[in-house]
Amino acid sequence: MINPLFRLVIYYFVFTHLIGNRVPNFALYLFSGLIAWLFFAQGTKKGINLLKQKKYLIESIQFEQLDLFISAILSVFFAFMYNLAAYAIIHLLFFIPIKMTVLFFPLLVLNIFILVLAVSILLATINIYLRDIEHFWDVVILAGFWLTPIIYPKEAMLERFYVLAYLNPMAGIVINIRETVLYGQPPLYNFLIYDMLYAIVLLVIAIYLYKTYAHKAVEKL
Amino acid sequence: MPLNFFSMDANQSKSPPSQSKEQVSHTRDLDGKEVVIRMKNVNKTFYVREKGADSIREKVFGMFSSNGKKQIIAIKDVNLEVRKGEFLGIIGRNGSGKSTLLKIIMGAIRPDKGGEVTTQGRMMRMSLGMGFDPKITARDNIYVNASILGLTSKQVNEKFDEIIEFAELKRFVDTPVKFYSRGMRSRLGFAIAVHADADIFLMDEFFGGVGDANFRKKSEEIFAKSFIEGRTIVHVSHQLATISKHCDRVILIEQGMIHKVGTPKEVIAAYQELMKRVRRARLKRKNK
Repeated sequence: MINPLFRLVIYYFVFTHLIGNRVPNFALYLFSGLIAWLFFAQGTKKGINLLKQKKYLIESIQFEQLDLFISAILSVFFAFMYNLAAYAIIHLLFFIPIKMTVLFFPLLVLNIFILVLAVSILLATINIYLRDIEHFWDVVILAGFWLTPIIYPKEAMLERFYVLAYLNPMAGIVINIRETVLYGQPPLYNFLIYDMLYAIVLLVIAIYLYKTYAHKAVEKL
Repeated sequence: MPLNFFSMDANQSKSPPSQSKEQVSHTRDLDGKEVVIRMKNVNKTFYVREKGADSIREKVFGMFSSNGKKQIIAIKDVNLEVRKGEFLGIIGRNGSGKSTLLKIIMGAIRPDKGGEVTTQGRMMRMSLGMGFDPKITARDNIYVNASILGLTSKQVNEKFDEIIEFAELKRFVDTPVKFYSRGMRSRLGFAIAVHADADIFLMDEFFGGVGDANFRKKSEEIFAKSFIEGRTIVHVSHQLATISKHCDRVILIEQGMIHKVGTPKEVIAAYQELMKRVRRARLKRKNK
């Protein structure tokens, strides 16, 4: 929890005093995007090496290996909940009204969860055959941070780089989180549906690839 | 130089008819019991690179240098049927493929195309350092393993004290396993296995015979009495005494192939014969 708060402070300072911004409630805007992103980044990072870490279990006991991923993500999810609590406190302190649209929020969180699960499983499977996918993914996360409207307003992305919002599912999710929780607006339905479908389809693909190729985990890792 | 000591019965892998009663020290009626492990036409070849790991970098920059990929035939042409309640021993030289065979039965490694492994019932593979995360304590390891095996917290609580009691590790229950001596780990592993609920146990050079005289006596008793009863066990070992005492049937594996199947007496004799030949060949090579 210290990490996100710290980053919040730095980004806030830089983007308010050093570089201007026109976003209302910038601190909350920033924080909400940040914690959603961290859930994704930390969740996927944990998943890549999971099979190697838990190899001792896989080679000795029979069980549904996909459960390992769920438990790994749950631990990151709890960290997210802590951050969410911090966010809620700040949100209420600023007397920002909470509208009914906040009911969309659990759906968005579920969306991230499914997405993280899918990507984790996918990366872990690839990791068996290509061991440096870890470094590759670090770069993707680095780029992803900037390709998601966390520090800049959504208009900057949507006006000229709309395509990015379709390539990066987290973009739409983060935008919708702000709309529903911070601004009390209905979500952008096109992104809502698209991102959920994206996550589900990715999950199906990931599980299929896992079942087909991950049996080499014990011999190759 | 390939070691080619096999006589023509190298691939004899038919399951023998039920044993004559004098040759085993106990009677176990296996006729009519269902087959719980079936291996048909199982082969396994490993491809090992000489240098570098599989990675994107390798594939991009390694395009011009040919990295020799060695082909290691670990398992060849194995056909095997194990019945419920049977105690099968597997003996063989180091590197003959025993552990790989167990891992294939376990399902941790898949055989090459065309091979088939079917099992019935829950399996657990025991080896040294089995299923332990060294960073966490014994207590946590037991709970983790148990929950993976599907036991509820309540069930584990009941067995927990028994397990620790048996392993004589009460003082170190809350110490991370990485600080355990090898004997302690073995005892812990054995204690967990003895109380675990699997139907089929695959023991991979897993000595029940660690610890002091009292512990060994305890293990031997439990092993002989309650552990073996009703469970199917495949036991890879170098301890010929245990093998000859408890096994119904024994297999000798050499270079990935089943060299001989039969009663403990027969197969142990074949094993010793094999070892003699290997020693003689080595001496001959040295004296050249």
